[in-house]
Amino acid sequence: MSTRRSRSTQSASRISDDQINDLVSKLQQLLPEIRTHRSDKVSASKVLQETCNYIRSLHRDIDSLSDRLAELLENADPTQASVIRSLLMQ
Amino acid sequence: MSPPQQPSSTNPNSLKIRLTHRFLHNLNNLNKKRSNLDNTQIHQRYNRVKLAAYASMAHVVGSRRAWSRAILWKIRNRKVSTRHKRVDHKPTNHHHARSIKRRTTNHSNPKREYVDPNGNSGQEVKLRKLVPGVETMDACGLLDETADYIKCLATQVEVMRNLVDLFSTI
Repeated sequence: MSTRRSRSTQSASRISDDQINDLVSKLQQLLPEIRTHRSDKVSASKVLQETCNYIRSLHRDIDSLSDRLAELLENADPTQASVIRSLLMQ
Repeated sequence: MSPPQQPSSTNPNSLKIRLTHRFLHNLNNLNKKRSNLDNTQIHQRYNRVKLAAYASMAHVVGSRRAWSRAILWKIRNRKVSTRHKRVDHKPTNHHHARSIKRRTTNHSNPKREYVDPNGNSGQEVKLRKLVPGVETMDACGLLDETADYIKCLATQVEVMRNLVDLFSTI
């Protein structure tokens, strides 16, 4: 079973090396900081690290925004939400 | 060839608009369900809003992606465990439900026996922890799922920011 796995990873790394580089560069395009820097190839591990940091910061954003939304929803008029929704549906 | 800065603003069926609809729908249900009880439990409301955000993300994407399937599965399991919790209202039950959730999400190999290529082992393992549903995926699939997950997360954050602005100015 280990030989099968090593064989598959070997063939996978041989065939899809370009594919992985392609995907890494695609990820790089999505990251906000690296995109503004020079568009040369940044190392894959740096891209992965920035990706992890970016995902964590997005999670934190969602947490803080849902906190504020919870506060706002508590004080908001319940008809306002339906008004907004009907406006957006059109 | 150049990727557009904001691809979602012109297309009427865009991800952002679908996310907005779904999220507002979930928020409305939240309001309707709890309007008579628990109005002072803001922590509970915060948890529900957060859950609604991830749920709307996963529902809009559907079962096309591994991460959305993982989130939907987690939500379904969470609903079952909270239904059991509501019967007893004991603090031990809550802990039990949380441990169930953790155990089921780690149902694949918890020992991290991956053959990590190119010395990317630290980063790849961290990434697998952050993106739901990619524990047993190969490197290509992992990167693909991560890109889609980031795109949806960023759009969801944008939607929520717009809503906060909207609600705070009305």
